[in-house]
Amino acid sequence: MSGKNKLLIVDDNDDIRSTFYEFFNSLGYEVKTAGDGLTALKLLKDKPNFFDCLITDLVMPNISGLGLIAIVKKEFPDIKIIAMTGYGDQPGALASEVKADSVFFKPVELIKIENKVSELINPNNDKQ
Amino acid sequence: MTTPLIGVSKSILKIKELINHVANTCLNVLITGETGVGKEVVAQNLYSESSRSSKSFVKINCAALPETLLESELYGYEKGAFTGAHKKRPGKFQTADKGVLFLDEIGDMPMALQSKMLHVLQSGEFSPLGSDQEFKTDVWVIAATNHNLEESMRKKIFREDLFYRLNIIKIEIPPLRERKEDIPSLIEYYFRLYQSEYPDNLGTRPDSDILAKLCNYSWPGNVRQLQNCIKKQMILKSWEKIFEELPKEHPEIVSQFTDDSQQNGSSHYTKSGFQSDRTRIISEFVDLSTSSDKLFEDISLKKIKKLASDKVEKEVITFVLEKVGWNRSRASKILKISYKTLLYKMNEFKVHPPVK
Ligand SMILES: Nc1ncnc2c1ncn2[C@@H]1O[C@H](COP(=O)(O)OP(=O)(O)OP(=O)(O)O)[C@@H](O)[C@H]1O
Ligand SMILES: [Mg+2]
Repeated sequence: MSGKNKLLIVDDNDDIRSTFYEFFNSLGYEVKTAGDGLTALKLLKDKPNFFDCLITDLVMPNISGLGLIAIVKKEFPDIKIIAMTGYGDQPGALASEVKADSVFFKPVELIKIENKVSELINPNNDKQ
Repeated sequence: MTTPLIGVSKSILKIKELINHVANTCLNVLITGETGVGKEVVAQNLYSESSRSSKSFVKINCAALPETLLESELYGYEKGAFTGAHKKRPGKFQTADKGVLFLDEIGDMPMALQSKMLHVLQSGEFSPLGSDQEFKTDVWVIAATNHNLEESMRKKIFREDLFYRLNIIKIEIPPLRERKEDIPSLIEYYFRLYQSEYPDNLGTRPDSDILAKLCNYSWPGNVRQLQNCIKKQMILKSWEKIFEELPKEHPEIVSQFTDDSQQNGSSHYTKSGFQSDRTRIISEFVDLSTSSDKLFEDISLKKIKKLASDKVEKEVITFVLEKVGWNRSRASKILKISYKTLLYKMNEFKVHPPVK
């Protein structure tokens, strides 16, 4: 497997998307973004073996993060999943029910998410 | 037969694409939009594109039934569960097993039943009234509402946990006035449909002027209202008459209706008087809080028709009289009834000029 780890970031908030994009991009990840669940699902179906990790917001138009997680778990079981939510514990509880690998509550610290991403993608490599 | 989802607007194309991607996921769906926008059409299309299309599509309207009746319809009951339960009856969760359960007007579901619904959605199990056994159910839940549920949650009349549980896939259908591009194709579709249903009628397709007028109307009743106009035109054979009969767009009337519905504690997307808050409307004429047996005795369409038309007539007569400064002969001309009929009706409905 060559080079960069590949991330799909899904959030309906433009600022969050661009902040995440720049942060992970500068750390050497290959990053794609989507503003809603349907767009994300289409990206995933387009490149079925491409992404290593999905980071998704929960409350979004059309396919919610919860829906997206359920679909990805079933159709792309190798992709690791991190859920983020800003709506209190309601959707968060559901996210663990649909078995996101990890759930973060907004506002999130980017560095913590990055730690989690690398832990999920490379479980054997200890972080330097 | 499933009605195809007609339309060429961006929003309809997006909805079709969404249906295509989620029809086989069995994830809970929430469909929202004003009355008559096509929520049920979308639900049927989800079903017919899914792998459950050979199983049943079971619909239940959560606004049309009083609480106890709704509960027994959903979950069924054992013999003797309550007076009148002479024999065991399966509920919709059972008859929809392996298929689709369409929960229409979910925003009108009473709070107590919302908790029970949440439990069933969480556990996939339910128990019929009067039974202590839990049964597994495998239904695909598709819910629809014309309420703004975010607003209902703020007012604490809709449970947040139930909302997030249903809102896994959200399909928002915009009102027809926000997707006027769909109007010509809807007209064409329904024109052909009615032409084949009534082959010897003489309805005409709208010419470009009429089409422009149809596209510019605000369609408070959305596709349903447009569809009714096309059907009517097949009989009246005159687009002019159709326009005359269309409710005019009166801003004062519109805001009055909206205020009313807010006082009632229910919140709607629609900004017009054409919302279908079914229970609210029905409860003006029948007492819905009684038992179902009594209720069914009380419901007589003839009686309700009279009560409802009296109520509207009274308002319209007062409205017109006020507009013309209580000049009764002018009012009778506007209302297109005789002077004598107007006096008779004013007397019957106790409509009196304000005392100076
Ligand atoms: N996109 C569409 N293509 C074809 N027919 C449509 C479309 N949208 C709505 N209709 C027709 O308009 C009518 C109303 O649609 P429907 O019953 O689905 O509306 P609804 O949103 O469920 O309304 P309500 O809130 O009053 O229950 C139906 O006869 C339906 O067939
Ligand atoms: Mg409907």
